Amino acid sequence: MTERSNPFSESGKTESSLSITVVGASGDLAKKKIFPALFALFYEDCLPENFTVFGYARTKMTDEELRNMISQTLTCRIDKRENCDDKMDRFLKRCFYHSGQYGSGEHFAELDCKLKEKEEGRLSKRLFYLSIPPNIFVDVVRCASTRASSKNGWTRVIVEKPFGRDSESSGELTRCLKQYLAEDQIFRIDHYLGKELVENLSVLRFSNLIFEPLWSRDYIRNVQFIFSEDFGTEGRGGYFDNYGIIRDIMQNHLLQILALFAMETPVSLDAEDIRNEKVKVLRSMRPLQLENVVVGQYKGHSKSGKTYPAYTDDPTVPKSSLTPTFAAAALFIDNARWDGVPFLMKAGKALHTKRAEIRVQFRHVPGNLFKRNFGTDLDKATNELVLRVQPDEAIYLKINNKVPGLGMRLDRSDLNLLYRARYPREIPDAYERLLLDAIEGERRLFIRSDELDAAWALFTPLLKELEEKKIAPELYPYGSRGPVGSHYLAAKHNVRWGDLSGED
Amino acid sequence: MSSLSSSPHCRSYSSAAYPISSSCNYGHHRTAISSISLKQLLPRKVSVQSNTKARPNVVPSEDGAVVAPIENETPSNKLGDGLLSITLPEEFEDTTSFDINKDKSTVSITVVGASGDLAKKKIFPALFALYYEDCLPEHFTIFGYARSKMTDAELRNMISRTLTCRIDKRANCDEKMDQFLNRCFYHSGQYDSQNNFAELDKKLKEHEGGRISNRLFYLSIPPNIFTAAVRCASLSASSANGWTRVIVEKPFGRDSESSAALTNALKQYLEEDQIFRIDHYLGKELVENLSVLRFSNLIFEPLWSRQYIRSVQLIFSEDFGTEGREGIFLSLKYFDNYGIIRDIMQNHLLQILALFAMETPVSLDGEDIRNEKVKVLRSMRPLQLEDVVIGQYKSHTKGGVSYPGYTDDKTVPKDSLTPTFAAASLFIDNARWDGVPFLMKAGKALHTKRAEIRVQFRHVPGNLYNRNFGTDLDQATNELVIRVQPDEAIYLTINNKVPGLGMRLDRSNLNLLYAARYSKEIPDAYERLLLDAVEGERRLFIRSDELASAWALFTPVLKELEEKKIIPEYYPYGSRGPVGAYYLAARHNVRWGDLGLEQ
Repeated sequence: MTERSNPFSESGKTESSLSITVVGASGDLAKKKIFPALFALFYEDCLPENFTVFGYARTKMTDEELRNMISQTLTCRIDKRENCDDKMDRFLKRCFYHSGQYGSGEHFAELDCKLKEKEEGRLSKRLFYLSIPPNIFVDVVRCASTRASSKNGWTRVIVEKPFGRDSESSGELTRCLKQYLAEDQIFRIDHYLGKELVENLSVLRFSNLIFEPLWSRDYIRNVQFIFSEDFGTEGRGGYFDNYGIIRDIMQNHLLQILALFAMETPVSLDAEDIRNEKVKVLRSMRPLQLENVVVGQYKGHSKSGKTYPAYTDDPTVPKSSLTPTFAAAALFIDNARWDGVPFLMKAGKALHTKRAEIRVQFRHVPGNLFKRNFGTDLDKATNELVLRVQPDEAIYLKINNKVPGLGMRLDRSDLNLLYRARYPREIPDAYERLLLDAIEGERRLFIRSDELDAAWALFTPLLKELEEKKIAPELYPYGSRGPVGSHYLAAKHNVRWGDLSGED
Repeated sequence: MSSLSSSPHCRSYSSAAYPISSSCNYGHHRTAISSISLKQLLPRKVSVQSNTKARPNVVPSEDGAVVAPIENETPSNKLGDGLLSITLPEEFEDTTSFDINKDKSTVSITVVGASGDLAKKKIFPALFALYYEDCLPEHFTIFGYARSKMTDAELRNMISRTLTCRIDKRANCDEKMDQFLNRCFYHSGQYDSQNNFAELDKKLKEHEGGRISNRLFYLSIPPNIFTAAVRCASLSASSANGWTRVIVEKPFGRDSESSAALTNALKQYLEEDQIFRIDHYLGKELVENLSVLRFSNLIFEPLWSRQYIRSVQLIFSEDFGTEGREGIFLSLKYFDNYGIIRDIMQNHLLQILALFAMETPVSLDGEDIRNEKVKVLRSMRPLQLEDVVIGQYKSHTKGGVSYPGYTDDKTVPKDSLTPTFAAASLFIDNARWDGVPFLMKAGKALHTKRAEIRVQFRHVPGNLYNRNFGTDLDQATNELVIRVQPDEAIYLTINNKVPGLGMRLDRSNLNLLYAARYSKEIPDAYERLLLDAVEGERRLFIRSDELASAWALFTPVLKELEEKKIIPEYYPYGSRGPVGAYYLAARHNVRWGDLGLEQ
């Protein structure tokens, strides 16, 4: 993990060739995230000398049409605009298209021929990015694996969520994938793990002396993982309605961050060591209880003349849908480090703000000397460490400080690190990092099968119960702060949400 | 900002923590609650003056004493405002055994040495600022005392030139200034003449107008006349029925013996609790905040020990030599007789060190805090010669401008060995700090002007990231910096991932810049200290045993330096100081935080 601006400089510079096949090339994710990320990597000289990008989809399209489609979403780094067009042209020349069915071995065999052509006998490394609906995952993997695998290099497959919708379906998917792929060929992407501040979480903890001593139940009162979007499903609720916010955000993104946050110090930064520790956290956790969960769904709302639709107003959503668009939950890790510390999660759509953050609330100062002077308030003014993942990446630590002046008044101030002020460079998109990691075989940020199993084991009983009991979600207005139930949930564990305290 | 205190007062310590309250708005009933300890000294049946506007009625006190207006000659005492009343008895249940004589008291502040530089530049402006902020009692009088012949008007004229209003409250500045100046008077006299002080006493009495008289003397005079002035003030101008307090400024002697002699002399005339030894560094905002940071945040206290702290550095530097010194007894002659160790280290830096390193006090009371500070000082090893580096600046020419050497100054002997720079490592041999070097550095004519506390943490044991980055990371330790001046700030240096696809770490700061966070002007240290003295808050003043312990640490090495005529290492004016300081730090395997590449 040293600076990897040119990771291919040493061996096989010309002998090996990398092919990246984006399966589902005409989809939205491919257009908006995958191709731009590949271009950014190319721009930063992070791709090997010989590489080919293939788009694969059912649509009939020429190479030229694909290039035209891609080129509309490519952008250059803000800080390096100079020879952008030139670079773009060179990148597009490496992009090709192959039209085929996702379940057709023959079509993948045709792709294999084309790939071989481009590889020109070099050592072939093939990466398949499956940007397709989950029901055809296995078909594609079968075809790609049996008909278009690399013969002399490696073949890797990136899959995106959803990885099933409960323990059983997820286990089934894993089993099927494993028929054709070995564990180390499967790269399950969780793009939140590629976010800059999530990456930085381990750096903060393990390369600073001042945080690690505080990282336990002795000093931490609770930890909060907060994700909110300020828009709803907006006509694209078809997929979402089958999954809901718990599966869409909590069981994967937030839980992954939680595991990274709470894990013991790994033996090394190697992927297997880190993933071993993450699995240990997940396995130490209590499965989620219904009483520790609050679900919500947004309803229509009119504000200053503008009307915002309810979730069930979405034409792609059944009118009677009980799918949660908001959820809050309290989780517990029953190990020596975290026993009794609530880990609160909150995720929702159509809320008043867009943000993702980790908030670490510390305990009150025992026997606070200043308390005599200020009553009991000071016990609520605890320290808090906030990692704002998006937007406006920042780290800040809330401390109590004396208000300058002749008196002795305390207030809360922030020790701040605003990324924008400190690092003028553009922060790369999570997909860039993850694609590069997959190319390099760095598995640290991808989810292993046993990790996935453990994650589902925590959520599956609850999800089933919610569905069987047809728990009605608490309705909250579009653009609001979410259902008040989440406050009661926090109160039950004697904590407060840090993001709704009125200070931020 | 979410303030944790609801009190609008300048001070909001409750009376529980501070028997003598620090509430500024005299006349509010908080003050009354807090003046119990004074009243214990008072005769019964003294009437009350109050400006409690909320209770304008004249009410008989419990024993029937009806309050009558007192004639008052002080022009600024506006009777309309100071309407006399007695506070309702039920409001002060616990004090009804005494007569409720709140606000019947008056404070007279006598600045002895009124024509000096310190008085002009610091003391009078600080008094005015306190007045401006409503932190002085309703009734107060300021007297200037010095040998020069001067009229009241001349004194006022002199003072008025250095008064300024807070930047953020310029509104009725002139008016306030006039009101303040009307309370200022002058008395000319010898510093050792009881007669002259008796005359002062007479004048003070006049202004006090029969109220309980509280008197504060600020000795802004050379140390050799401290005792004489204290004797005269104490014998001839003490308060008969209130308190008498004396503020003294450094130097408090020049070694253990002379300091003890001074203390003994003072104690002939004053009780310990009448002596207020000022160390104006203790009044600095960020030094005050040090205890707040430590004791009101969970995240710092666990780290506050040898287990996590590798070294603590107390750094003071001035970017000018002795040429621009302010204060009459801070002149060159003074400095050459004392040197930087006595001038800065033995008092300012050592005081901050003690505050930094002390155990948690029982409470924030002055005595509790000072008890803990004394414990730190008594746990310290006396300074060894090998743990000290001294330097003296020499002349230097840069960009056509020539800067003089220390001995180029006319008032300094050509062969002076007086250090203008010193670095030292000190050790506290207690359970918390065993083996942690406390490095001090103080110097004049250096490249920068600053005062700061730097806490360097240990390296991360078994750092996971070391494998990827070689050994450098063990030097990239965390650091907590409290910048006392200029540009007050607190920041914590942390290791952070450089955003981008690679995994590169760098050091970033978690920042709190006061100028950005707090728009209010930060009061001068003298304001805080004067207010504390008026209120009898002793937390920031140095007790006799503290002073004795401080001298005990430094006296042996000071003697050795002088006896052995150790020659200071010369460093150019405007430089970073003698290189010997690096070697001193290196010997303890640490680095100066202020001279890293990052600064």
